[in-house]
Order: sequence, then C-alpha cells, then structure tokens
Amino acid sequence: MEERDVVRGRRAASRILPYIGERWSGFFLLFLLVAFSLLGRNFFAVRNFSNILYFATIYLLLAAGETFVIITGGIDLSVGFVMGLVTVVSAIVMRDLHAAGAPPAVSMISGSVVGLVVGIFPGLINGYLVARLRVPPFIATLGMYGVANGVMLNLCQGFPIYYLPPQAQQIGNLFVAYFLPGRSFTFFRKPPGMTPDDIRSLVGIVPVTVLIAAVVLLVFGFMLVRTRFGRHTFAIGGNLDAALRAGIAVPRHLVKVYVLSSMMAAVAGVLYTFRAGIGHFTTLSSSYELFAIAAVVIGGASLMGGRGSIGGTVIGVLILNVLENGLNITGLPAFYRYMATGLILIAAVVIDQLTPERRPAGD
Amino acid sequence: MTEATLPMGREAGRAAGWAGRNWAVLFLALEFAAFTAFGTHFVSLENVQNVLVACTFVLLLGIGETFVIITGGIDLSVGFLMGFGTVTCAKAIVLLRTAGVPLLAAILLGALISLAVGLFPGLVNGLLVARLKVPPFLATFGMYGITYGAAEIICNNTQITAPEGTGYAGNEYLFYWVPGKVLSFVRPEGLSEADLRGMVTLVPIIAVITFLVAALFAFVLTRTRFGRHTYAIGGNMDAATRAGINVPRHLTYVYVISSAFAALAGVLFVLRYVTGTSDAGSSLMLDAVVAVVIGGASLYGGKGTVKGTIIGALIIAVLETGMVNLGIPTFNRYIAIGGILIFAVLIDQFFPDLVGRGK
Repeated sequence: MEERDVVRGRRAASRILPYIGERWSGFFLLFLLVAFSLLGRNFFAVRNFSNILYFATIYLLLAAGETFVIITGGIDLSVGFVMGLVTVVSAIVMRDLHAAGAPPAVSMISGSVVGLVVGIFPGLINGYLVARLRVPPFIATLGMYGVANGVMLNLCQGFPIYYLPPQAQQIGNLFVAYFLPGRSFTFFRKPPGMTPDDIRSLVGIVPVTVLIAAVVLLVFGFMLVRTRFGRHTFAIGGNLDAALRAGIAVPRHLVKVYVLSSMMAAVAGVLYTFRAGIGHFTTLSSSYELFAIAAVVIGGASLMGGRGSIGGTVIGVLILNVLENGLNITGLPAFYRYMATGLILIAAVVIDQLTPERRPAGD
Repeated sequence: MTEATLPMGREAGRAAGWAGRNWAVLFLALEFAAFTAFGTHFVSLENVQNVLVACTFVLLLGIGETFVIITGGIDLSVGFLMGFGTVTCAKAIVLLRTAGVPLLAAILLGALISLAVGLFPGLVNGLLVARLKVPPFLATFGMYGITYGAAEIICNNTQITAPEGTGYAGNEYLFYWVPGKVLSFVRPEGLSEADLRGMVTLVPIIAVITFLVAALFAFVLTRTRFGRHTYAIGGNMDAATRAGINVPRHLTYVYVISSAFAALAGVLFVLRYVTGTSDAGSSLMLDAVVAVVIGGASLYGGKGTVKGTIIGALIIAVLETGMVNLGIPTFNRYIAIGGILIFAVLIDQFFPDLVGRGK
C-alpha cells in the first residue's frame, strides 16, 4: 500500500514537473508580481501597471517580430537600430514639414508613413541576404545593425531631432481612458475643467500606444497560430528540407518574415517618436535587440527554430519589464536589471534543457 | 596552341585563387593605399603606431573569440567582460593603494587579481555550454548581462580613476630615439627641449604585449594538440567525441581563454587610460566578431586563424584612423564595418573552396 502511494506520488510528480516546466515563465511572472506587491510600496497600483505597460510597448513590438524570425531558426540583430533609424527619419520629416508650415496632421501622418516605408528596406535586404544569398542570419543582420546605426547617426549627426509638431507628443501620451475617482470616467480625452488637485489624482488607464501594440500583437498572434503563413513559419523552422519538399516557397517566405520583423521595429520607432516628441536615436549600449531576443527565449522559443509563440513572448517581455519596474520601486539600482535579465535568461534555457518532454509546437 | 594557353589559364586561375584566399590582405592594402593617397600624413611613423594601438583591444577580444568561433560557438560577453576587467583592476589598485601598498606592487597585484577574477565568467560560460548544453549565444548573452550589472555595482555607476602613475606603463614605448643622439629602452632623461620635441617614440608597449600574446596563441592554435582539438570540435563534434577528445572539458577551456583575453584587454585599458568603466568594451564585442569573420572564420565552426583575425582587426583599425585622418564623420565606420562583414561572408559563400581551412 505504501509502495502504491509512492508510485502514485511519483507519477503525479512526473506529471506536475513538466507542467510547471512548460509554463514556468507564467508562474515566474506571477511570482514576481506577488513578490513586488509585497515588497515595494505603490507597486500594486493601476498607475504603476500602466507605467509597466508603457515601457514594455517598444519591447513587445520588437520581440513580436523577433519571434517570427526565431521560429524560422534565424535571428534579427538589427531591430534596435532599425527602430532608431525609423524614429529619426519620421522625426526629420515631421520637423521639416512643420517648419515649412504644413498643418500638424499632415506632417505627422507623412512622417509616420515615410518612417514605416523606410522600415521595409532593412528587412528586405536582410531577407534577401539570408534567403537568396544564404548569409547566416547572425551575420546578415549584424551587418544591417552597423549600416542602420551609421545611416541613423549620419541623419541626426548624433543629436536628437527637436521641434516636432507639439501635437505629436500629446497624441503619443494619450490614455485610452481617464478616471477621476468619484467624479468622471472619460475615453481618450481628459475630463474638462480640472483643478490642480484633480490633475494629481487623475488616473490614466492603458496608454494609447499600448493599445496599438496590443492590437498588433493580437493580429500577429492570430497569424502565427491560425493562418497558413504561421504554419509555414513553423514548418521552415522545424525542418527546412521537409518544408521545401512540401512545396513551400522558402526563400520568399523568409524574406517576408524578415520584412515583418523590420516593420515591427518601424512601428515601434514611429510610436517612440510620438511618445517622446523628439527623434531619439538608439544608443549603442541600449541593446534593444538583445532584450527582445531574451524575451522571446524566456517565452519558450528555441534558437534552433520551430518553437515559439506570441503569448510566450508577451510573458517574456512582461517578466523583464516587471523586474525592472519592481527593482526600481524596491529601491535597488537599475543596473541589477542587467544581472537579473542574464540570470533569468540562463535559467530559462537550463529549465528548457531539463524538460525534454516539451514538444516542439507553437501553441 | 592549347598547350601554350593552358599554363597561362592555370596561372590566372591560381592568381584568382590566391586573391580569393587573401582578399582580406588585399583589402587591407587597398584601404591603406586609399588613405595614403587621400589623407594627410597617413603613412607616418606616428600614425602607423596609432593604428597599432587602435587595433589592440579589438585584437585581444578577437583572439579569444577566434577560439570560440572555431568550436562553432560565440561569446557575446567579451565586451562587458572587458568592462568588468577594467573596473575590477582599477578598483583593486585603488584599494591596494589606500591600504598602503607601493604603486608598482599595487599595479601588478591589481592586474593579477583582475586577470584571476576574469577567469570565472569564462568558466561559467564554458560549464553552461559544455555541461548543460545551453546554446552559446544564450549562455554568453546571459553572462553579458551579469558582468555588466556586476561591473556597475562595483564601480557604483561612475568611472573609477586609478591612482596617478598607473598610466605610466600603458603609455610607454619600447624604444626612444633622438635622431643622431640616443636610442634607449627607457624614456631618456636630461634632454633639452629641442631634443624632446625631436624624440621619436617607437612601438607602444601595449601593442608589443598584444602581438606577443597573439603570436603565442597563433602557435597554440596551429602547432599544438590543443589547437588541433579546437578545430576538430568545430569541424565535427561527434567525430571529435568519438576520437576520444574530452569535448566538454575542451570547450570549457576555450571559453575561459576568451574570458581571460577580455580580462587582459581590461587590464591594458586601465594601464593605458587610467580609468575603469563598465562600458569600456561595450562596442568592441561586435568589432571583435567582425574581425574574426573578416579573417576567414565561419560561424558554423571548424574554420578560422589568429592571422586572419589580426588582419581583420587591422582592417577595422585602419578604417577608424583613416576616417579620422580624412575628417569623415566617424558614424560612417558602422556602415563600412557592416558592409565589409556582409562582403566577407558573401565571398566565403560564393567561393567556399578559395577560403582556406584554417591550417
């Protein structure tokens, strides 16, 4: 009887451990949220959660594009500087049109469109190099990293771009809803006639940029699991030869995936411009691409390809951002963030290695 | 007739083959020629030495990276490991000085401490890659974050300035030559001002150290069993395992070597610039990888040489110094290096037979 209990216990453990192993990132996020809520003052507050999402937006977009690339077994190191390039380009267009006396709406829309169009090219070149010329993705996108960085710095001469239409920053920092406790609840605009006290107690719920990112993520999450495009992405990463034999136009698909990644970086760049109200170039040590890759891997993707999901990536991004915010709020210096990110990344992969039952699947 | 043309064709083929194998050398020569033609005093004793100094840090990181890349891995942590090295070295020297240790002893001890501490990140990288089978990209990226954070914590988010006199060794030269008067190994004393102005300093010490170490590790890679095993693991890991090579142990050594080189670069940085700062090498990691790849290594492993890496590092250094010389905004270096990197790999892709197999 005791023996049977032991066996049953073991069986339960063997079922529970892989379950936790597979979803450890979700559990870990939960753990972080609980821990920081207990440790830090003002962590568990609508305002702070809005804040976390606000800072996570850029990483969410970059990491979503990176997810597709990593599922095909590639990597895109250029996303951080493509984002910076698009930010600078769109800001320059906005500034110049604004200075030439164009209406703010025209200059903002043209700036965004030009930025997004410019954002296609790095991806096209990356994709062409990887798919047609068979340059290893690491090298092709590392080259693009240098080129985008150089073009960006040449355009802005190493200074942020100022004098954009002032409306840009207002739009970029709108919230979906404003809540004035006990008084009013409005959508997309602040309640009129506020006293200074009101302004202090006004709570913005969900920044508009976060909403945009959420819509984009939903679309691409759907694309990855429910469409042929997504299935082909997994097929290429799972087994390239099989994908070829199954009649998938692999080179064309790969080009699309790299364009998608660089488009996501472009969207992030345009949002960045609106939010900051200036065209801020990407600095060398900001390492956006590496944090995006880390988030994708923490979310359960494999650098060997064939595995990954948008949901996992979102959890990965949130872990990194909750960690940063929480460390800040508990009063630890920001640079512990780098250590913690490194440790979690290594832990993610080691856990992944130790859970061999994990099936290569997307959803 | 065919007999007459055949040798010529063969000769042309051989020449093309040579050019393909040595495109990096040709490129370096071309670069040098271009800057000589368009720049001002590009080929001067002083400027050539500037190039040598400019390439030291990329070269040091690059040699360690060469070993890692030959095994088919990658080490993304070297840049921040170097920063970590500068911070530990500067901090150790400062602490030893306040404890009353004489300057020379403090510098030597500080350097040794920094080098010793610098072995651990490599050990961890190696154990993760070799024993726990963590992909090198991720293991070393994790270490990148950890060392950056650790360095920032040690230096408290500012620069650490090493005590005065630390920079003496790093800014020394091997020879001092006053034309027609003195040629000495140490900075000559009691010279007139005119003599001092006319004094020629030859061969910076840090370049000497760097190239000596480079020569040593070129020897290790090409002439020793350790080097042969490194190539074997990168060429075919299963075969290497079956041939009885202790692959995990060897891989650990390789990552330790890479980390030790980063620490050495950090120590030399402190000796040269008298400061320790966590981002001393943050931009150098990619330069190092680029130098290795330009030098003919393949990221798939099994291929690469120290000689090639030296040429790669020189290409980057000549580009940098030349751009400064011509007054071209330095932003363009990123474009140029990115372009050269892709060019290097394309040559490797299209002429796989041309580019040599390491040995």
